[in-house]
Amino acid sequence: MMNSIETRVPVTVLTGFLGSGKTTLLNRILTENHGKKIAVIENEFGEVGIDNDLVIGAEEEIFEMNNGCICCTVRGDLIRILGHLMKRRDKFDYIMVETTGMADPGPVAQTFYVDDDMQEKLHLDAIVTLVDAKHIWKHIDDSDEAKEQVAFADVILLNKIDLVAPEDLEKLEARIKSMNSMAKIYRSRDAVVEMEKILNVGGFNLDRALDIDPKFMEPEYPFEWSGIYNLKAGDYQWLMGEGPDPAMGAALLPLANKGLAAQEATLMDAVLAYSEEEQAVEPGETIRLGKGQHNQLVLNESGETVFNISIQQPGYYMLFTEHHPDEFEARLRGAEPALDPLETREYKPDHEHDEAVTSVGITIHGDLQLEKLNGWLSQLLREQGQDIFRMKGVLSVRGLDKRYVFQGVHMLFDGRPDRLWGNEPRQNKMIFIGRNLDRAALENGFRECLAS
Amino acid sequence: MRQRKRKARRVKPALEAKWRANIDDHPIGLAWSPDSKTVAIAGVSGPITLFNAADGLVLHKLPGHALDTMSISWHKDSRLLASVGQDGKVRLWDAETGAQRAEMAGGSSWVERVAFSPLGEYLVSAAGRKLRLWNSCGELIREYPDANSTIADIKWRRDGRQFAISAYNGVVLYDPEEAEPLRRFEWQGSSLTLEWSPDSKYIATGDQDSTVHFWITETGNDLQMWGYETKVLELAWSYNSRYLATGGGTQAVIWDCSGKGPENSKPIMLEGHQRLIKHLKFQRKGMLLASGGNDGLLAIWKIRKNNSAMLADAVFKAPIASLAWSPDDRCIAVSDESGTLSIAAVRR
Repeated sequence: MMNSIETRVPVTVLTGFLGSGKTTLLNRILTENHGKKIAVIENEFGEVGIDNDLVIGAEEEIFEMNNGCICCTVRGDLIRILGHLMKRRDKFDYIMVETTGMADPGPVAQTFYVDDDMQEKLHLDAIVTLVDAKHIWKHIDDSDEAKEQVAFADVILLNKIDLVAPEDLEKLEARIKSMNSMAKIYRSRDAVVEMEKILNVGGFNLDRALDIDPKFMEPEYPFEWSGIYNLKAGDYQWLMGEGPDPAMGAALLPLANKGLAAQEATLMDAVLAYSEEEQAVEPGETIRLGKGQHNQLVLNESGETVFNISIQQPGYYMLFTEHHPDEFEARLRGAEPALDPLETREYKPDHEHDEAVTSVGITIHGDLQLEKLNGWLSQLLREQGQDIFRMKGVLSVRGLDKRYVFQGVHMLFDGRPDRLWGNEPRQNKMIFIGRNLDRAALENGFRECLAS
Repeated sequence: MRQRKRKARRVKPALEAKWRANIDDHPIGLAWSPDSKTVAIAGVSGPITLFNAADGLVLHKLPGHALDTMSISWHKDSRLLASVGQDGKVRLWDAETGAQRAEMAGGSSWVERVAFSPLGEYLVSAAGRKLRLWNSCGELIREYPDANSTIADIKWRRDGRQFAISAYNGVVLYDPEEAEPLRRFEWQGSSLTLEWSPDSKYIATGDQDSTVHFWITETGNDLQMWGYETKVLELAWSYNSRYLATGGGTQAVIWDCSGKGPENSKPIMLEGHQRLIKHLKFQRKGMLLASGGNDGLLAIWKIRKNNSAMLADAVFKAPIASLAWSPDDRCIAVSDESGTLSIAAVRR
């Protein structure tokens, strides 16, 4: 269908709510001395040349297109403007398309898949979403546009971090990761970011996104709270009052140091521990410590319940609880009566949100049969295309010595062989981002595509 | 030996190059003056070159539009040429002196379409959703209420009594003497281009959703043709209104409108292009069809009900950018994306 050597001009789509810093970022890109020629399609009127670059104003015209069984929306104005731009002799290195704040990124992304002239000359390199770290909370739970902008993104820029406390930023990042584990997240002030992080990131980003451990892509955290304690060797008690449930899950894991990287590593251990079968801990018994230990703390029918904790190695520990300790007036007691955690973190489990936007990453070994894959994807997209925002994959196809890479937006997808596998182990990785995704069904369907 | 030589001489080449030039730009408009004397070609970066059709000498190089010229149209007297572009202007040029006669505001930053009426008394321009009617001196007669979306095409009926625009949502018909549209042919899709059949019975549109529509102007009924490979930007009617040639793929699809019409009929398919066909033009009074594609192939076809055939072909080094038959049907002007302009006589 297309050459594997990319000669098409990369297009970056810039989304983000009003005030997230899109204009600041665009102005920075246009005025920075980077030696590249960039055309910017803005949602304001007027065409202006700035030194080497070109800024074209466009009025969004969203058209519905019916092509046989698929139906999608595209940006008619972009087809016209970019079609014309591609005829110019002065070729551009990059094209950036800015969307309006409330825009659903679907139509603009789909434009690059459905029109042959666009497909031939341009390729969608990345969707970059700017997030106003301070004000996003107002939108993220109840605005479909905000959710979609996060879900569609290949790169997310958490902007205005200087206006937010570090722990809020952590929370925000965790929330965003739970919605879109594929995106690369950067933090910025005044939209200051290196150009190479947002322009021409395509292939690199794809590999990177898919190399994330699939376990980490678990979209929902099975716990709501964690606390870090610095514990000496000795005996401790975890006290719990009556609460909403007769039992509560808990995992207690050592933490190498208080740094973020160490915390991330322990967080992963906790996700893994919670995926193990739970072991009941009756009142007065000792909570099992370490990796793979999923405790189920069984409470007395009334009054307070005491669980024991025995620490051999002094150091930092992180306790992950299924519910917030406040719900049970739970606390840790040692030689000193009150032991407060040094740091705490709350996790918003996704099951609290209706129509949650999540991502599902799947890795399977073996070679796929392309016809089966096409059949499965076509059916999947016919049935669920509106809910699947993005998908990407690097696949091992039987009879093909090159990696087969593909990506899609809603019901449209574009796949092709890229480079030789070489020494890299052949396997299949796919990631879906969307609403109401059923991991088990997706995994089964994908597995069915293996060559028999 | 002798016999062979004679034989070779008897087979005349069907395409005979007359002259060639290069405008060093991506051509976007190509039009013969109605008196056949001048060939106008616009380059995407702005300038419009007027060539002497007989020998290829440059008569004038008009500056055109600072930020890209988008389209050109000749007045029937061959003296006036209208152009529009991304500087937001409609410009009228004197083709004899090369001077600009008038400059008008199109109403938006991109003026994409312009069309003189067949009798020359009107000029219509479209800029985004703005539709304006002018007289041939460049005086504004009327601005119509904004169209629903960007106007993609404007075409006059052969008698000049009506014109039609296409846009997202179909086709709208106007009488240049009336402020209100005459009627609308509505379609939930983006109609990219339109062509009146010469007898005005049909308006054909090519659409973004890979369909072709035949609007029957009398009833407003619509025949839809599905199954194209890609969006359809190429439409051409034969002079007798019998055939509509359509692109939207690597094969030209020819619908026969005689008898019961094209509905449920099997079209003629022309195979020969390796890549997408981008241009189709019928002769004004003959049955030859010219096709130009992204493969750089120019092909001349004889269209008949049962045995259509390719009569001649030539290969250009870049995709074909525009095609135009001379008013007397004897020559064809062809440009490719590298800027080559070639005029060839077509012999039968």
